[in-house]
Amino acid sequence: MTYRHQEEMSPPPARRVTDVAITRFEHVYEVEPALMTEHVTQQSFPNWDTLRLVRSRADHLAWMHRHFAGKVISGEELLHDLDE
Amino acid sequence: MPDPDERPEKEFAEEWRDAAYNCFSSGHKFCREVCPVMQVTRNESWSPTAFHANVVAMEKGELEVADVAADYVNCTGCGACEVRCPNSLFTGDFYRFRTRTVDLVKAVRGLAVEQGVHQPGWRRWNQLTDERRHEPVLDGTPVDQGRVRDWAEGLELPIGGESILFVDCEAAFVRTSVPRSVARILSLAGYEFGLMNEQWCCGGPAAEMGYDEQARRFARHNLDDWRAAGVRRVLVLDPHDYITFTEDYPRYFGDAYDIEIVLVVELLAELIREGRLTPHVPVERTVTYHDPCRLNKRKGVWREPREILRAIPGLTFHDVDRVSQWSYCSGGGGGLPVEKPELTAKISEQRVGKAAELGVDTLVSACPWAERPLSDAGRARSIDVVDLHELLAESLGVSP
Amino acid sequence: MTVLIGDPVLEELRGILGPEHVLTGKADRLNRARVPAPFPVHRWAERMPDLVVLPASTEEVAEVLRLADALRIPVVPRDGGTGLTDGAVPLRGGIVVDVKRINQIKEIDLGNRTCTVGVGINALKLNEVLARHGLIYPDDPASYPCSLVGGRIGTSGWSLIGSRYGHTRDLVLSFDHVLPGGRVIHVGDGIGRKITKSSSGYQLKHLFMGHQGTLGIATEATLKLFPKPEAEFSPFWAFEDYDSAYRAVGALARAGVATFAGAVLFDEWKVDYLRRDDEAYIPQPSSVKALVCAALYGYEDEVRAGGRRLLRIARSLGARYLGDEISEGDWAARHDRYATPLHGRTKSGQVVPMSWHCEDASINYTRLPAVRLAWHEIAARLRRESDVFDDWGMFAYTNGATGADYLTEIDIGIWEQRLDDTAWAAWVRAKRDLAAVTLEHGGSISACHGSCREGEVDLVPEELGGGYDVMLAVKRAIDPNNIMNPGKYLLDQAYAEEP
Repeated sequence: MTYRHQEEMSPPPARRVTDVAITRFEHVYEVEPALMTEHVTQQSFPNWDTLRLVRSRADHLAWMHRHFAGKVISGEELLHDLDE
Repeated sequence: MPDPDERPEKEFAEEWRDAAYNCFSSGHKFCREVCPVMQVTRNESWSPTAFHANVVAMEKGELEVADVAADYVNCTGCGACEVRCPNSLFTGDFYRFRTRTVDLVKAVRGLAVEQGVHQPGWRRWNQLTDERRHEPVLDGTPVDQGRVRDWAEGLELPIGGESILFVDCEAAFVRTSVPRSVARILSLAGYEFGLMNEQWCCGGPAAEMGYDEQARRFARHNLDDWRAAGVRRVLVLDPHDYITFTEDYPRYFGDAYDIEIVLVVELLAELIREGRLTPHVPVERTVTYHDPCRLNKRKGVWREPREILRAIPGLTFHDVDRVSQWSYCSGGGGGLPVEKPELTAKISEQRVGKAAELGVDTLVSACPWAERPLSDAGRARSIDVVDLHELLAESLGVSP
Repeated sequence: MTVLIGDPVLEELRGILGPEHVLTGKADRLNRARVPAPFPVHRWAERMPDLVVLPASTEEVAEVLRLADALRIPVVPRDGGTGLTDGAVPLRGGIVVDVKRINQIKEIDLGNRTCTVGVGINALKLNEVLARHGLIYPDDPASYPCSLVGGRIGTSGWSLIGSRYGHTRDLVLSFDHVLPGGRVIHVGDGIGRKITKSSSGYQLKHLFMGHQGTLGIATEATLKLFPKPEAEFSPFWAFEDYDSAYRAVGALARAGVATFAGAVLFDEWKVDYLRRDDEAYIPQPSSVKALVCAALYGYEDEVRAGGRRLLRIARSLGARYLGDEISEGDWAARHDRYATPLHGRTKSGQVVPMSWHCEDASINYTRLPAVRLAWHEIAARLRRESDVFDDWGMFAYTNGATGADYLTEIDIGIWEQRLDDTAWAAWVRAKRDLAAVTLEHGGSISACHGSCREGEVDLVPEELGGGYDVMLAVKRAIDPNNIMNPGKYLLDQAYAEEP
């Protein structure tokens, strides 16, 4: 909640996921930074901004579902019906 | 004839080129229908995507800053375009590279000022701010250094201390009941804080209008003042100040910037959660909440104000979700009301119109800068515009 | 003809529209000279109009066209400017008529379940209002949050959920249309504004949709509305090879499920591309080589029953359901699925901003595998020639409920910062070759964007045959002075001297 500059500019350590992707925050992927060194370089990205976008994306996708239909049917639930 | 490679526009485009192509080459224009100015003017020259495309045109030598400076007035800095842009929303965090239209608009305005291309209203506004150390807010309201703490009269707040409350120019000189409410609530909760020794305008408005040197000078003053008084923590009630202190100041001062910034709305929600504040006086109003752009769109802060509203007894709350509100705005930001008050009024009318459709009698805001244009628009529809902090104070039984 | 500043025509236009709605600034014109279609950005200035007008009514559009026709000034209509063909881009300067201000909701007719709107309105914004009545206007392109009704008419757009609700041509019942000389006609089935079927006279509605601004300007449209669906189901499945996925998508589309709104097939190149930056596909095992998704809309009981049927079919064909989280997240993102430039990669893998060029065609189901291989070969040739190009894979989307044909697209990235005449020429040649493959396989050059872009347009006369001669005759009859979007669709031929 409180903004502290040093904390914001210190992302969690990176862990490799694939040849081209890493992860720092849980369930959040990032490009392998070495791929953004020649033509386009990465911006300064405080932690709050990463988390803001991740959460906004989830909110937006949920909004889009509500925009098109009253509810979303779960495939896992229907598959369970098939197995019975 | 000047060397075409030394044109300031060329140098500018070099810095902004990748960001500009990231918009130009996508051509989404998902910004357009959420942009408040675009919604009321339908003029594509003033769409966020045009602001990026112009940089590509500058690089190609097709445009000079003087051709477009007036177009860049048409932005409230609300950030809707940035968050709605797929380059932010879907991949911004992945690439650590997102759409930064607000920064671009500020930068083009800065380039214009640097080149001696001024907007008359903005020039005057910033000259007066420079003279008085505070924004000239409403014509006729006396604004000077001697009166910056007048709003706190009788509250007996100390000067200095580890935590201080920073009050923006609009709240300090016009919307004084807002900071008074905040101060009373914090005192009620036993939260210790003081006032700044010699508070100047945060500098954010100057930065937004392109007067960068002035913005930095004001920021320097404030930071020095905090340091001299041993301030560790700044409480901020105005979303615009919150942006300035968490985005502009870190850019100016880098790693040396060690002041904690606390948004009052978040603090109050926490105090309610912890049981240190318990709203108990029923407030019989039917309300909806206006998400201040700088909180909802630019910072992702939208839960806490709703938590506070839901804690107030007596309220009937018709909420509109935060994503729908990405396309709402008061029109009060980014210097727009200084140069184009008629556009601000239209944007506010549209916002209040959305509230009217819900059948509410009150529109609750949490941004002092939004409240003047929204109140003007609200009068025509008999909708009160009330500040969230004031509403909470009322329910806590503390009068401003 | 070029309109110069100070020209008396400017004063006339200012008189018609009000001075603030006649724009002559360079940035005003540059920003109305581009669309997301393949665009030679290095020659941007050549596409600029001389001026831009922002009318607010059908009458104002009619007066502008009357004046332009009398003075033989080219006119290019522009609405959202989000099209993937270049209909809204002027080739000969002149006046851009930007109709975004004509965006009012004139009527919501609950009894006949229609609404009438100005064509400058966006469907998402319209649906926010219609939702209060429990209704939806289900025209759902990838540009859903930004495309406007007028552009959907001018390009005869395609909808992601068209297999259930129809495409723009089915959803737009009628519209006011300003002819090049300024005469206003109403185009629909018969004379009616809200008639969905008539056999009175020639059926003109199709003629005045998809003409890319060459036959006039639509201003106000009456749209068909549906109940907002109670439920949605959007399963995504993974496959270990393209052929299995291809068989599955065909079976799903042919199943005849009433709530079926569409299915999409992703090929290996597309899956590889998604692994670059899509959170749903980065963690997928390497055995995943192709994907299929389907979407169903309707009442909950119908959707559940149809959904079970499709799940059973998919399972019998070797599909692995990807789970609710991916299914729901990815489908919700398909309503605004324009590509992000940073998907682009050089051959060495470096990230570069590329524009997205979706080359589309309508291809019959049985021809999909062959077209796919031929198209990727063309994309590979481009990539070999230059780092400016990148193959972003292919999708095939059902065009209709019976599974006859598919909107087939290959997505190609172009690094516009490095675009020059050589690369542009290679691109135009590739587009011509892509279109030729389509015609060899009995397809149509475009399912949704239009086929008037450089390269592919050369093959339109071949595709349409005698129909193209009728196009020329119609163009000459309706626009005798060739003021409407001159140069598009090679229609200048309509005005060639008789031999």
